[in-house]
Amino acid sequence: MGQLFVFLYKYRAFFTFLTLELLCIWMIVRNNNYQRAAYFSAASGFVGNINERTNNISDYFSLKKVNSDLAEENAMLRALLLRVTETPIDSLKTFDIDTDTTDAIHYKLIAAEIVDNSIRLSHNFFKINKGSKDGIQPGMGVISQKGVVGKIRSVSKNYSSGISLLNSRNQVSAKLKNSNRTATIQWDGDGRNPRIAKLLYITREDDVNVGDTVVTSSFNAVYPKDIMIGTVASVKPDQNQRDLEIEVALSVDFGTLAYVYVIENIYKNEEDSVSINNPIDFNE
Amino acid sequence: MSRNLIILTFTAIVLMLLQVLILKYFVLFGIGFCFLYLMFLLFLPLEIGFASAMVIGLIAGLIVDLFYNTLGIHAFACVLIMFLRPYWMKWSKPRSGYEVNDLPMITNYGLGWFVIYALPLIFIHTLTVFLIESGGNQLMGLSILKSIVTTLISLVFMIAIQYLFYSKAKR
Repeated sequence: MGQLFVFLYKYRAFFTFLTLELLCIWMIVRNNNYQRAAYFSAASGFVGNINERTNNISDYFSLKKVNSDLAEENAMLRALLLRVTETPIDSLKTFDIDTDTTDAIHYKLIAAEIVDNSIRLSHNFFKINKGSKDGIQPGMGVISQKGVVGKIRSVSKNYSSGISLLNSRNQVSAKLKNSNRTATIQWDGDGRNPRIAKLLYITREDDVNVGDTVVTSSFNAVYPKDIMIGTVASVKPDQNQRDLEIEVALSVDFGTLAYVYVIENIYKNEEDSVSINNPIDFNE
Repeated sequence: MSRNLIILTFTAIVLMLLQVLILKYFVLFGIGFCFLYLMFLLFLPLEIGFASAMVIGLIAGLIVDLFYNTLGIHAFACVLIMFLRPYWMKWSKPRSGYEVNDLPMITNYGLGWFVIYALPLIFIHTLTVFLIESGGNQLMGLSILKSIVTTLISLVFMIAIQYLFYSKAKR
């Protein structure tokens, strides 16, 4: 201890210098927008790099699970493919064409890998290894093969940061698949259980059973409709006897999340511009 | 010593006012600024000690920053040169050495010595300021050009002011 003090005293000029410079850097980062942006973009690039390296290593350990997940997804897609390419051999046989699926592509998927993910905080975020050079923009939805993951919040050249579904500030428009009743999914940040979210604004008259499927509604331009969110885990009336308090078991296991798809909605600008150009308070 | 103290205080007040009120608007071709307030920091005697010199640099930098809306940048550069200054002073010692009661200025040690003493320190200061201001290394060339021009302008101003207003101390 005494030697430490001797050391500190001997180089006191340098340590004073260091302290004052750190104070200055703190002031610069706190008070100057441009310098702060430069600092954070450098820092996030650096951190993203390290995260990706460590992730590269840990990927090897989860290869088995990823493989089985991919095989499962392959099987599902193959089943889908078989169903779609049912071409009529018999000329008398008629078949339906969904008009909205054939005239244009509505959504594009960009595959990405999670390089950083938190599930234990009350506001969780994740980071993926695709960025603006891959065409990712803030506001795009992110799903995995099992369901909704979150949406992109900010983008750098090679990485993007997203706000997870496990974030109490991230509300997702959802509906009950059976009754088509729309509601809102919000994760309860205080509970901090990464497997359970709350389904809000379902009134008591509705018939909700444990095991019902909850999917995304079509009321937003972020996610396609009918993307899986989870299943109802418990139903009970809330304290005010007005709404039902519904807990939803999320279909995505955020703890083992590795590969995701970013959804690019080609008509997003168009969809949003309709609501922006026609505000609710049009009488003013 | 009390005469030196009066000179320093007076210099500090006048230069600070001059810097934040007038020289703030003095820009040559968009690349040449004038950081005249550094002259007061350069005038501090060697005996003042590391810590107090750096704290004075910090305060001076912060005052300038407040008026330049760049909180922390000038302070950072000032602390940096106040840290380097004693080493540089020892290295660029005049042949006869430093006198205890003489402030490091032209009237005491001559023009040639002052240029050698001041030029690198001003350059480091301006380079630091412009590099932090540009927030990275994309504008490296422009930052270096700006700091060279600014250094020369500041130095010319300092020399002119010293010849005009500071007389040789009467012993």
